[in-house]
Amino acid sequence: MTKTDVLHAVRLARLDLTLVGRNTTVLFNVMLMPLLLAALYSSFPTGDVGGVEGKVFVLTGVPGLMLAFAVFINLVNAFTSRREELVLKRLRGGQPSAMAVMAGSGLGALAVFLFQALLIGIWVYRFEDVLPVNVPLMVLAAVLGVAVFGLLAAAFSGMTPNAEMAQITVLPVLLVMMVAAPVAFPADVLPGPLAVVSNLLPVTPIVEMMRTGFLGADHFADGGEKLTMAGQWTAALPSIGILLVWVVIGALLARWLFRWEPRHG
Amino acid sequence: MRTRQLADATGTGTTGPENVIEVGGLRQKYGDFEAVRGISFTVPRGEVFALLGTNGAGKTTTMEVLEGYAPATDGTVRVLGLDPIRQHRELRPRVGIMLQEGGFLGDLTVAETVDLWKGLSQDAGRPVTLSGSTELPGGFTLLGSRIRRVDRVTMGALELVGLEKKARVRVKQLSGGQKRRLDLALAVLAAPEVLFLDEPTTGMDPEARRTTWKVVEELRDAGTTVLLTTHYLEEAERLANRLAIMHEGRIHTHGSVEEVVATSGDMITFRLPGTSWTFGDLPVLDGVAPALTYASGGTEVGYTLSGPDAGTRAHAALRPLLAWADTRGETLERLAVRRGTLEDVFMRIVGEA
Repeated sequence: MTKTDVLHAVRLARLDLTLVGRNTTVLFNVMLMPLLLAALYSSFPTGDVGGVEGKVFVLTGVPGLMLAFAVFINLVNAFTSRREELVLKRLRGGQPSAMAVMAGSGLGALAVFLFQALLIGIWVYRFEDVLPVNVPLMVLAAVLGVAVFGLLAAAFSGMTPNAEMAQITVLPVLLVMMVAAPVAFPADVLPGPLAVVSNLLPVTPIVEMMRTGFLGADHFADGGEKLTMAGQWTAALPSIGILLVWVVIGALLARWLFRWEPRHG
Repeated sequence: MRTRQLADATGTGTTGPENVIEVGGLRQKYGDFEAVRGISFTVPRGEVFALLGTNGAGKTTTMEVLEGYAPATDGTVRVLGLDPIRQHRELRPRVGIMLQEGGFLGDLTVAETVDLWKGLSQDAGRPVTLSGSTELPGGFTLLGSRIRRVDRVTMGALELVGLEKKARVRVKQLSGGQKRRLDLALAVLAAPEVLFLDEPTTGMDPEARRTTWKVVEELRDAGTTVLLTTHYLEEAERLANRLAIMHEGRIHTHGSVEEVVATSGDMITFRLPGTSWTFGDLPVLDGVAPALTYASGGTEVGYTLSGPDAGTRAHAALRPLLAWADTRGETLERLAVRRGTLEDVFMRIVGEA
């Protein structure tokens, strides 16, 4: 990316944030729904999980699930409606490169997601008196998560004929994320094959990295073993690897399926 | 300085260094449908070139290939000597594009839309206004709950197209014609060397149309090369140095407006009462058979005489016509001898095809 691409991406990200604030439906879906979801999940009576109070366990993992709303649903809707309204066509004919357009949308979604994660962090600190121990790891999880779900959103928008249909297109991904993400339980409590599938989905490593970054412990298994800073990064390596693979898969799918213009005829 | 250079528009286009747009043997297919069937033309620097045609003639497809939206199925295209696809990045800052429709974010205001586009345009810092209006003071407008300054470039662009009073209105509240004007403002914002205008005045009221024409004329006079598509013959006649009439993917005629109109020849027209007239009832004049159309209980008759001295021959042909009418005791209502028009050429091409 050139310096011009970066400047264009920042301008487009600012545009996205402005538009989120002007559309009440988007505002609700992107900003409020994830927080309501966090409230709902954290109200489940889970008791202690892996040596951590259940509510804290849930809240430290729930940002992974928020990606579904702040990034995936948000961007599938944005890409699809902008394609139908020929906004993407205008951008493509203008000076911003394809990379800058994509990066702009990703950057806007990242900002929304980080804001929500910050709110969760404040929530956990205010009511549970727990501070995150490894913020860089959490930010890395956020960046990789936004990259994966942003690319998947681009791909899914290509399969979505119009903005109305986007509500249906996103449902399978949303359901899989809500069922398989280890938000309210450690991943290894799932039955064998389901645990394998869950571990390979992009949402699981994000939840794991977020939780490890917050609590400084490896909660992949039910142990919740406390880790040093170096240990946290080491424990996160498999998750980072899985997410990088998903970035490649997402990029290939987006390259194959994403469309800048409505289909002719 | 404007260069006027007549060039062939059907296959042997002049390809000198002054040609800003060069199209050679362009073919464009979508599946089995061939939208453009081997067209060639060149547009010299500072010229307005109009592509005329019915819906589906291939005008917009041609435009989109030149704009770099789609690679050509066959043939060559160059804009400012660059390949619109492979050298898109170099070309983009030098080109302004007015889409046929859409392309706006409805929740942005008009001023915000221009601001955004200005921020995304490399050379948009230069004031873009009609002569004499560059000294406009920056205006202020309410955007939501904040007060934001609308800078001089943005106001200049909006004034250029007569939208300065709509600066704070959201784009989704604009009429179709106002959106077209906003589109023009965005297209000219970066002072492009080449301007692509796809049906620029569709949906505009007559006043806005004339404002748009004035903008295009000023840009042309300033040296901007313009390629425009239009349905409006009057628009092409007023703006274009040269034009081409496309139908079903081919260029059927081309040249300056005068050259194209000259191909229509001179016409003798009149009306006969009743609708029972056939070709055999009417005389052949100067070797030309009549064209008949039936309307409102009468028959409209037209003879088109083309070639050298068509005007003289048309007047000469009046004598046998009047003699025929005299003999038959018929009245030739609204008898006229007139030069052909662009519309005549257009209708002849569409009708023949």
